[in-house]
Amino acid sequence: MPLDVPAIRSEFPIFRRTINGKRLVYLDSAASSQKPQAVIDAMVHVWSHSYANVHRGLYTLAEEATMAYEDARAKVARFVNASDVAEVINVRNATEGINLVAYSWGEQHVHAGDRIVITELEHHANLVPWQQLAKRKGAKLAYIPVTDDGLLDITVLPGLLDDGRTKVVACSVMSNVLGTLPPVVEIAAMAHAAGALVVMDGAQAAPHMPIDVQSIGADFLAFSGHKLCGPGVGVLWGRRELLEAMPPFLFGGDMILTVKREDSKWNALPYKFEAGTPAIAEVVGLGAAIDYLTGIGMPAIQEHERRLLPYAIARLSEIPELRVLGPGPAERGAVVSFTLEGVHPHDIGALLDEEGICVRAGHHCAQPIHDRFCIPASARASFYIYNDENDVDDLVAALRKTVSLLARR
Amino acid sequence: MSHDLYREQLLDHFHNPANFGVLEPADVDIEMDNPTCGDMIHLTARLGRDGRIASVMFEGQGCVVSMAAASMLTEAVVGKTPAEIDEMDLGQIEEMMGGVKLSMGRVKCALLSLNAMKQGLRDAGRLA
Repeated sequence: MPLDVPAIRSEFPIFRRTINGKRLVYLDSAASSQKPQAVIDAMVHVWSHSYANVHRGLYTLAEEATMAYEDARAKVARFVNASDVAEVINVRNATEGINLVAYSWGEQHVHAGDRIVITELEHHANLVPWQQLAKRKGAKLAYIPVTDDGLLDITVLPGLLDDGRTKVVACSVMSNVLGTLPPVVEIAAMAHAAGALVVMDGAQAAPHMPIDVQSIGADFLAFSGHKLCGPGVGVLWGRRELLEAMPPFLFGGDMILTVKREDSKWNALPYKFEAGTPAIAEVVGLGAAIDYLTGIGMPAIQEHERRLLPYAIARLSEIPELRVLGPGPAERGAVVSFTLEGVHPHDIGALLDEEGICVRAGHHCAQPIHDRFCIPASARASFYIYNDENDVDDLVAALRKTVSLLARR
Repeated sequence: MSHDLYREQLLDHFHNPANFGVLEPADVDIEMDNPTCGDMIHLTARLGRDGRIASVMFEGQGCVVSMAAASMLTEAVVGKTPAEIDEMDLGQIEEMMGGVKLSMGRVKCALLSLNAMKQGLRDAGRLA
């Protein structure tokens, strides 16, 4: 059944406001999504009704807060089909989750002369941590290239794996610029056959499609709550035996079992990786966001975007000066980056804002993929559950105005 | 579109920039970019015997704000001393651009050419 977009919009208080007198057309969910009332309410409820620090107090409030916090973890585990709740680590964001792996696992397992394989379409979050690990260790960093069509050329992968020196393959499940959906299951199978670890950046994918960590082939998968209708908190899922064998990333309270003057023992999973007081209300809010999304249904969300995306690409392609980056609609998620001949992306962003339309302009934290296509920057429209054909039509109309204002006369 | 930022005066400078090109030889010759937005400017300038800016040319690519600001700057700084240029700030650039109020995100676009000018003067030993 198609999504009832007007009903969904009415559940997001932000759509009651206008921008420059125009209705809000929010097309920047790939950067961060808007929040439904249910998520806002869940966080307010913790703060106004059940707030105390978690895992410590012996009083009612502390127990309620701990229960709400751990209940949210269980929801996250179900959301990604983790078999073990202790494999779900609460972090600040996907970036921190990937850094946790690069430091905690990477420092122990990557050595001089080893290889780390990433792809040309990575967000900086799944690129710089590996690049810097390689530099610290004297390891090599290799890129799986992107074809002119915006797809990964995985034919190079066997050549990068066959000497057995590749320790980790890190890959996005969905590109935040091109929308490309790499064949991650296939990549993971090849990497595992060569003894490499597989780290997946699920920041773009998790809000838009069902994720099953038991079948996707990842050893670690990171994603962010704020992109899936939740607050600013992130999740790292990892395989238990790997997490067990890893040293802590950060040290302090809550992650310890015992502390003596000269040494300490670490707490069990997942607490070993959650040093200090966590973002309690945010984690509860993430649980509410997952309830909200699963209430709509992840397959229904995916279906909605699969319908909207070809419409968006077709309508945008009507503008002669516009060039859509990346693969065709069948091979991508609901992200459309584009350039307009003669118009800098900043000017696109500023002029669309006057029409109440929010798009991203710049390199979207992915400079290498822009270099790959020899463009300094692009504009990006990204779609979610609260977007429909009307938003696309408004976007196209505003882009036509932009062209007529700025194209060389 | 109300486009305060996209008024005719700025668009004219964007479409028909003043002093577009390269001075050869030049006392000041600098390239600067805004990697976060992909704006790039190549600025060349000559100083007179009196130490004041005699002429400036620029080339580059970028948004309306960065290119219009660069175009206007090549006219605004002629006759100024390097020290006077060093004292120029955002307020003067906004005034130069017809009194626009730049949003946070556009400030670095507008200041690219001024920053290039200042850095170029420093690199050339004309400014401490």
